Amino acid sequence: MKPATILIVDDEEHIRLLFKEELEDEGYTVDLASNGLDALDKLKRSAYSVIVLDIKMPGMDGIQTLAEIKKINKDQPVILCSAYGEFKQDFASWVSDGYIVKSADTRELKEMIRRVSGV
Amino acid sequence: MDSVNILGKVIEISHSNLEIASRIEAILNILAHEMHIEEAALYTLDKDKRLSCRFMNRTSRLFGILSGYRCHVGEGVVGTVAQKRVPQYFTSRNVPPRFGCLFYADLDGATDRYKAFAFLPLSDDSFVYGVLLLCSSGRETIVDSEKIVLSIISRELGGILHTYDLLVSSKKRISELATLSELGRVLTSATEPHLLLQNIATITAKSFNAAFTTIKLAHSFVRLDFQRFTSGEIDAAIEGPLRDLESEALRLRRATSLGDHPLEAAPNGGRLALYCTPILSKDRVLGTITFCKKSEQQLAMEEDDQYLVSAVANYISSGLETSFLNTKLRDVLKELGDAQKRVIEHEKLRSLGEMTASIAHEIRNPLVIIGGFTKRLARQVQIDEKDNRYIEIIIGEVARLETILNEILDYVKDTPLLQEPCNANSLLDEILYLLASDKIWERVRIVKGYQAELPSVVCDVHQIKQVFINIILNAFQAMGGGGTLTVRTEKALYQDRSCVKVSVADTGGGIDPSLLDNIFNPFFTTKERGTGLGLAISNKIVMHHDGHIEVRNRAGEGATFGIYLPINSKTQTREG
Ligand SMILES: Nc1ncnc2c1ncn2[C@@H]1O[C@H](COP(=O)(O)OP(=O)(O)OP(=O)(O)O)[C@@H](O)[C@H]1O
Ligand SMILES: [Mg+2]
Repeated sequence: MKPATILIVDDEEHIRLLFKEELEDEGYTVDLASNGLDALDKLKRSAYSVIVLDIKMPGMDGIQTLAEIKKINKDQPVILCSAYGEFKQDFASWVSDGYIVKSADTRELKEMIRRVSGV
Repeated sequence: MDSVNILGKVIEISHSNLEIASRIEAILNILAHEMHIEEAALYTLDKDKRLSCRFMNRTSRLFGILSGYRCHVGEGVVGTVAQKRVPQYFTSRNVPPRFGCLFYADLDGATDRYKAFAFLPLSDDSFVYGVLLLCSSGRETIVDSEKIVLSIISRELGGILHTYDLLVSSKKRISELATLSELGRVLTSATEPHLLLQNIATITAKSFNAAFTTIKLAHSFVRLDFQRFTSGEIDAAIEGPLRDLESEALRLRRATSLGDHPLEAAPNGGRLALYCTPILSKDRVLGTITFCKKSEQQLAMEEDDQYLVSAVANYISSGLETSFLNTKLRDVLKELGDAQKRVIEHEKLRSLGEMTASIAHEIRNPLVIIGGFTKRLARQVQIDEKDNRYIEIIIGEVARLETILNEILDYVKDTPLLQEPCNANSLLDEILYLLASDKIWERVRIVKGYQAELPSVVCDVHQIKQVFINIILNAFQAMGGGGTLTVRTEKALYQDRSCVKVSVADTGGGIDPSLLDNIFNPFFTTKERGTGLGLAISNKIVMHHDGHIEVRNRAGEGATFGIYLPINSKTQTREG
């Protein structure tokens, strides 16, 4: 089976790097985008099993990006993530397939990706 | 008799600066002296159409008798002269006994020594002011030339009495004005209703010379501790009649009086009169004000007094209205102050929360990076036992910091700070003001139909504001920037709960009926740049408040959104 491809969208370079390495260790193919527009661009060119989307980004934020993603593919699985902790979780988990708080412990992220991508 | 001399003196006196009473007495003395007359007495006509003997010359002996009784107009010679305004002259042979007045019993024998009598009306062209009575023992008759002089003098005296009347009534006016101005001062200075009423009772009791004045407030009207404000003492015997009279005045909505009420409790069998007038405001009866006069005083209220009393009642009603408005205003201001304090408190907490959240965010990213890469290092095989321990410490400390961050954010989130009473009218005003000050709103006509005295809703004002903004912006966007936006508020029921209903109607053509089912779905949008979250979020927020959003198309016109917010929200803290 073709390995699932994940798109990580985050404005922090080192977060992107961390997630990429952690997920690649799990056998995923990982693509990176540093902002919303970049992400939309990539989505138009290739398909992703899951998009991991940071909420707080300069310019187009995660929620706006999510809305645009849904215009391109309304069934696209998206996990929202943020550094906010529980704050605003209510809303975020309601509009996306999953919501996590960034943590040094990436097990939760991996678990959620497995669930959402159905892999 | 030197008639020129007499007339000269009389006219001189009558135009002098002497007090009116002194002028009259001086004229009576001159008359008596110059014309050899022993009795020169002057009756004045009182308000109640009776004549009382009030002035006399120095040598008068009859004055004591004459002043003991007040003749009615038409009664006896004095009364007839006043009525017909024609002088009458008598000699001892034809003068009627007791001057035609039965009550002058003491005159029997006292008039025997006089031979000539004259009764002259004191009048001008339109009015009679009194009667002049002359008796002489030295002369048999009064001749024609003297009659002419007397008629001139009596005219002069009439003029003086007229001036006297004017003076008395202007004095009275002045004292009335003083009373009213004192009332005015009280009304503008005292703000407490009960102080106001007590002051009014005191002032009016004094100015009406009343045994007591009492102000009674109607039950339906006041929430004051006291219902009655009295100056002076209400005699126990009069309490019953007083109450009856008050309810009568309230019922008839006009002044009523109770004259000459016997006062059983009074040792001298005194009598009282009550005069009660309702205090009317525009459309309601506020209460009554009652004056009580003792019977030695004049019992009936004179017309002038009645006028004054009704002026006083008007003053009280406007004073009460103002005073209650003031009290209400003060309460509202206090409420406003409290609300403002609460808002500031909320804002503080809110911004504290937001600041904390963003600090947490800033800290968490580097923390995740440090911790995440350290964990990766830990998984490398070539690290020795000791280094591995250091790495474990770093990982442990990072986890500890993350826990602290979570706890802080939990705390911020849990602060139940967002429920407060909110007036939809003012919130909408604020929003519309902010939005419409943008130039792109130029071509939008805003129509407001607010219900006055709309109850406030307890809600998360920031969230509800977001809802209104979303829906108003949608309307604006639907109209392509030009059209009519109608915003209404009213009280309405939703599922049997009383709600405030806010309706937003636009002229943007409405929503395609086939899409109506979708508009509340997240990400559903027909707009190039829309997120499709506006209505979804709004709906969620309103549901959290136990409310409801409804949509209606007005065919060929536009859409109307109705937002129902329960007045007493069950939800007391924010969910989730
Ligand atoms: N007053 C209205 N008249 C006509 N259509 C409306 C009106 N309000 C909402 N809609 C329709 O409902 C859709 C969803 O509205 P919603 O507010 O949820 O998202 P949006 O306005 O498209 O995006 P955003 O609110 O993020 O700008 C709109 O795209 C529009 O098609
Ligand atoms: Mg919208």
